[in-house]
Amino acid sequence: MAAAIIRGAGLERYYEERAEYAPRPGPARHGWESVPVTTLDDGTAEVRLVLDGLRCASCVWVTEHLLQQTPGVEEATVSYATGRASLRWQPDTVDLGVLAGKISALGYRPRLLGEEGKPDRGLLIRLGVAVFCAMNIMMLSVPLYLGWITSLEPRYEALFRWASLLLATPVALWCAEPFFSGAIQGLKNRVLHMDLPIAIAVAVLYVHGLIATFVGADTYLDSLAMLVALLLAGRMLEGRGRRRAAEAALSLAASVPATVRRRTETGVETVHADELEQGDLLDVGAGEEFAVDGTVVEGTGAVRMALITGEADPVAMGVGGEVVAGSTLLDGTLTVRVERVGSETTLQRMAAELRTAADRPVRLTSTDRIAPWFTGATLLVASLTAAGWLLAGNSSTALSATVAVLVVACPCALALSRPLAAAAGLGAAARRGLMFRSADGLLELDEVQTVALDKTGTVTRGELTVVSAEDEIIRLAAGLERFSMHPIARAIVAEAVEREIPLPKGEDVREEAGRGIFGRVDGREWRLMAGSPGEIVLHGDDGEMGRIVLGDAVRPDSAEAVALLVKQGLDVVLLSGDHEAVARRIADQAGIPGVEARVDPEGKAEWVRARQATGKRVAFAGDGLNDGPALAAADVGIAMGTGAASSVLVADGVISAWSLMPLVAGFRAAASASRAIRWNQVRSIGYNIVAVSAAAAGLINPLIAAILMPASSAMVIWGASRVEASMENSQA
Amino acid sequence: MNSIFFLIPLALVLGGIFAFLFILAVRDGQFDDLDDPPERILHD
Repeated sequence: MAAAIIRGAGLERYYEERAEYAPRPGPARHGWESVPVTTLDDGTAEVRLVLDGLRCASCVWVTEHLLQQTPGVEEATVSYATGRASLRWQPDTVDLGVLAGKISALGYRPRLLGEEGKPDRGLLIRLGVAVFCAMNIMMLSVPLYLGWITSLEPRYEALFRWASLLLATPVALWCAEPFFSGAIQGLKNRVLHMDLPIAIAVAVLYVHGLIATFVGADTYLDSLAMLVALLLAGRMLEGRGRRRAAEAALSLAASVPATVRRRTETGVETVHADELEQGDLLDVGAGEEFAVDGTVVEGTGAVRMALITGEADPVAMGVGGEVVAGSTLLDGTLTVRVERVGSETTLQRMAAELRTAADRPVRLTSTDRIAPWFTGATLLVASLTAAGWLLAGNSSTALSATVAVLVVACPCALALSRPLAAAAGLGAAARRGLMFRSADGLLELDEVQTVALDKTGTVTRGELTVVSAEDEIIRLAAGLERFSMHPIARAIVAEAVEREIPLPKGEDVREEAGRGIFGRVDGREWRLMAGSPGEIVLHGDDGEMGRIVLGDAVRPDSAEAVALLVKQGLDVVLLSGDHEAVARRIADQAGIPGVEARVDPEGKAEWVRARQATGKRVAFAGDGLNDGPALAAADVGIAMGTGAASSVLVADGVISAWSLMPLVAGFRAAASASRAIRWNQVRSIGYNIVAVSAAAAGLINPLIAAILMPASSAMVIWGASRVEASMENSQA
Repeated sequence: MNSIFFLIPLALVLGGIFAFLFILAVRDGQFDDLDDPPERILHD
């Protein structure tokens, strides 16, 4: 099914790319040689990658530094907001495999644009093992700690200690390996990686535990294992749902038919769209979609080009007219000569361009650059503590105080504050129909001041509905059309049902290509045929009886959604390629204050950029290929999942419902999550300052530190769990 | 109380077997996608 959709959507390239780069990036370098790079005039090569697993602004900083310091790299920029990296290097000096290897060694997973990230199985295994070991060590630790109160026989104590050591060894040496490799890569390139204090704490704790086990002192291996397990869990939480959002969106997206009717010498055969060649003649009937680009050689009809132009009004098409893949023939019949197939079609070329456009340069968002400072500060305090107590001649306190500093000050709470709250926000938004590709997209929504909405398919239904007609005309037309699956027929029948008109029984109904529908209703002959574009005319025995005006209608809940957005202080603007009057009418119906009519696709992107130039953050919601540039240009691009597949590729978020309400929920979730993150950061920084001071002063022994450390994480988890609740409150 | 010298290693071995099975399951791709399979029946 998924394969059919991908093929149907004309995204065959997806499979080509998958096969071509199937050996995923990661520790293995294999596969990067085959990546297509752009070679510039000065002999340097350029490529754009997506980095999974960027956790904070400091990750960006570390990665950029590391890459820029690599000989042969001319330019390396990493965007935190989109997780995209842009690299330019001298191919003679260094190759992409080496660069990708460096990035993966830091703990981030580089991949190509357009290919979706795979879940990191290795991380899950490490987490599973760490949790298993941590739980067992905890269990063994209980009698040890209780032994402080009631005395425990030494041989049992030794058993528990050695068993703990046995369990802690794989945790420290293998599960914590990502932290070590991140820290070492950072050090090699003279940057302070956030993993450094974690790595030092793990190393110190493990060495301390090793010695303590031999000596028979308290080991604190339980805090080591819990620390590693919690940190791995935090890492795991990130990027979840990303893949899902993209896949779900793809399956909702519009598609082109997989099979077509091709003319042969003697008749017509049904063939797979893949088998078509230029010059083939295709028969296309009313209600069908075009699978290819082509020229009309016979017949007339009305074609809906919404996928390309974004406007629902049908275009009249005659001999010589050009049709494009993805558009729909609303009525009439056409014979089309195939001009372009597969990746050559307008649809596919636009999709390809959009994939590149998606890789926009983004400035660094206002986020915490504290993490590297935190690392430095922790190490400084720890070494000062050690030095201080050693100078004071108290070496046993020096060890315990230093370990206590490293453990309590572990950036755990700080590192978890963002992914946890963001994951809660992502979940809350997803349950309300707005799925984000990454947490950054969601969080950036909180900083948005302007919301630009596309008209067709976003504010409006993006499909034909009856705009005006008399009840009687609708009743008769519905009688004729009730068994047809044609879009117009469905619109008329739906309207009749909505107006609660009982459907009459049509007799002798027959459809004559190009002439309309004939039939008997209430014992009289009727004929339903196309009038001027967007109009259907009902003829009776004595001439025209009436007209049905078809068009695009505002979604029933658009007005409510817009009102809520405006109420939240957002500047809502309607961008449409349509005429001023039409755009104005839709805007009035939906209650949108600002209207920009007659904007072409590139114009929408220009408008977004102009708005951004005035210092505003802009969110853009749209469907269709034509919205791609604007979706890419906006700070947060949100695609309607019902729209074109390619718009989904460039968007940060996808609305999976036929409504704008998820957008409102998204803003609320973003606000709520951002608030939770800020509070979590305040809490964890406050905790760190107090706890580190106390630990450095020797007031906290490592045991208390080990209890406090998970407590600080619990505090952060509690903060994140309030995201959903605070969203509900803001709704009231 | 001496039985604990037998029971704790036994517990660790049993636990270890399950940890190993977990690793096999992850390698098999069992946890790659926890969301779609329950919905897949609705999609065809």
